[in-house]
Amino acid sequence: MVGIVLVSHSFELAHGLAALTSQLAGNEVRVEPAGGGPNGTLGTTDDTVRRAIDRADTGQGVVVLADLGSSILTVRHLLEEGRGNGHVRLVDAPFVEGAIAAAVVSSAGQALEDVAQAAEEARGASKF
Amino acid sequence: MQASSEVQVSLPHAVALHARPAATFVKTAMRFRSRVTVGVNGRVADAKSILAVLALGATGGTVLRLHAEGEDAPAALDALAGCVSGLTE
Repeated sequence: MVGIVLVSHSFELAHGLAALTSQLAGNEVRVEPAGGGPNGTLGTTDDTVRRAIDRADTGQGVVVLADLGSSILTVRHLLEEGRGNGHVRLVDAPFVEGAIAAAVVSSAGQALEDVAQAAEEARGASKF
Repeated sequence: MQASSEVQVSLPHAVALHARPAATFVKTAMRFRSRVTVGVNGRVADAKSILAVLALGATGGTVLRLHAEGEDAPAALDALAGCVSGLTE
């Protein structure tokens, strides 16, 4: 299944969203948090994101969602280094809704393209 | 051969179609090729979209109108009706 990586400035935000997402999508989908800077600070590091991508990757692709700002730059930097060889996709999607939509679609065994699209379509979804 | 079918089924009284029950419902719908929609109080959502189903805000006891179009439509509706009846918190 396509793995999901959640990149946030906050350790707690990334881990909390991963827990919520896993509860909805089920344990078959790898949802990996990558949050926080060195020594418990707010921020993102290349190394945390790199390791989360490795954990999420089962060979069918990885969709990466980032909260905002420099977390996106961190992911882009890794992808430009060639990380993931084209099967790691950074998507432009709302963090919570995008993660949940992507993970539920992944749980049905859909391909990377479909999982990425589900996350991006969450941009237009109403909450109620 | 395209088939189109519709059934109505009530949510169990104690179960709203929120987070976990909605995910169970959507995952059941995604097992089928048919286009499936769920209608609640005149609003209709794609039954394969978790965000659309959550946005319906269906509370316990609500009647869901399930509509499917496609070659496996009857099987999809059977599975979904069974899924809805068996939902738990």
